[in-house]
Amino acid sequence: MRPQPSSCERGSILEFQVMMGLLGEGLLLTTQIFFVTLIGSLPLGVVVALCRMSRFAPLAWIAKLYISILRGTPLMLQLMAIMFGPYYLFGMQMGPDWKFWACDIGFILNYAAYFGEIYRSGIQSIPRGQYEAAQVLGYTRAQTFMKIVLPQVIKRILPAMGNEIITLVKDTSLAFVLGIGEMFSQAKALAAREVSMIPYAMAALIYWVFCLLIEFVLNRTEKRMDYYHD
Amino acid sequence: MTDGACATAPVVVCRDATKSFGKNQVLKGITLEVCKGDVLAIIGPSGGGKSTLLRCLTLLETMDGGSLSYGDVQVCADDGSGRAVYGGRDVIATAKTRFGLVFQDFNLFPHYTVLRNVADPLTSVHKVGRAEAEERGRALLAKMGLAGKEDMVPCELSGGQQQRVAIARALAMNPEVLYFDEPTSALDPELTREVLRVIRELAEEKMTMVIVTHEMSFARDVADKLIFMDGGQVVERGRAAEVINAPKHERTRAFLSGYE
Repeated sequence: MRPQPSSCERGSILEFQVMMGLLGEGLLLTTQIFFVTLIGSLPLGVVVALCRMSRFAPLAWIAKLYISILRGTPLMLQLMAIMFGPYYLFGMQMGPDWKFWACDIGFILNYAAYFGEIYRSGIQSIPRGQYEAAQVLGYTRAQTFMKIVLPQVIKRILPAMGNEIITLVKDTSLAFVLGIGEMFSQAKALAAREVSMIPYAMAALIYWVFCLLIEFVLNRTEKRMDYYHD
Repeated sequence: MTDGACATAPVVVCRDATKSFGKNQVLKGITLEVCKGDVLAIIGPSGGGKSTLLRCLTLLETMDGGSLSYGDVQVCADDGSGRAVYGGRDVIATAKTRFGLVFQDFNLFPHYTVLRNVADPLTSVHKVGRAEAEERGRALLAKMGLAGKEDMVPCELSGGQQQRVAIARALAMNPEVLYFDEPTSALDPELTREVLRVIRELAEEKMTMVIVTHEMSFARDVADKLIFMDGGQVVERGRAAEVINAPKHERTRAFLSGYE
């Protein structure tokens, strides 16, 4: 007969399952913050970049200030400002769901600033000749941007975007300051309760695997655009 | 060529074109007419205004003063005080269908295949059907000696081949006049020859062309007429062979002596 596992061993297996369950719950929130941030900030970054490059000076100036503040202050602080700002500035009572909204808004605004600057660097790296060729051939400005400039920009900015997107995976852990139980918060709570570093190690492993998946997608995308160089 | 010497209505008429960048006047009143079927060469030292003139004619720059028209399309007119007043969006769009431009550094679209470089302007701008556009593209590429290269991307081609794709792209729009801005300056002598051969063939087919070039023997052999520009002005003009073989002005002589 197989020896029964001791109660101690059974307990640790149970605890492992509980731990993974809690980390998994956290991972769900982490993933949600990640995708919502991308869905919001990827397009908002285009707006930021276009404003930043606008020939209308006040608009460019506002965009510059926006980028400067969002890049120049800690994201954690920005999250707290959005979380508590409505109350301290306007005395508004926000509902219990506000922390999730504050989290998404904070991440989107912050990442749009970074993405905007990456887009700008890409757009400005396209040689003038491309615009001139399109202009002489009669392409409209919108066509020139969508058909000629944008596809080339995407190829050029892909490595920089990859950097930023991978940073975002780990930045989601900052949501813990808002009391959102994403994966890092769960790991922290587990570690405190169990007086163990194992939850942190597991969380680290999961973050890494998450990033590996993103690297895989990015590499494939880069390969697909590798059919030409300029 | 300035005195209405064309047998039929001229393709391009540009009068008293002036252009300044800040305090630097680059064009000091240039007048030219291009007759149908003519090849006009523009030569002169760098900084003499040749490229700026071409950029004004192709609407990449707006001229400060003077007038410009393509056939019945008046692109800009002198408002009486010497200022050039441009037509509206429709006028500009129509004018752009009348000419093509071949750049010094090709400016092909690197992310498009060779065929798409030629066909896409037809479908996107001229609303030609895709099949018809590709058929026209293939025919032009074959004419340029590029059959079989349709599915390659520009970076897989030599400079000479890229420039021939650029010529096909410009021809696809059926322009009435084709401009060349130093089309061989980025090419070595061998590639230069293959591009010049193509331009020569177009000249034999009576394609109307305006060519800014430093290839003097090519200009002499292929161009009907020639303009020598320096300091933003036309110093000398006439039949290409005559000007190059026997320049009248001291400045032209000095410039050409550098090419012997």
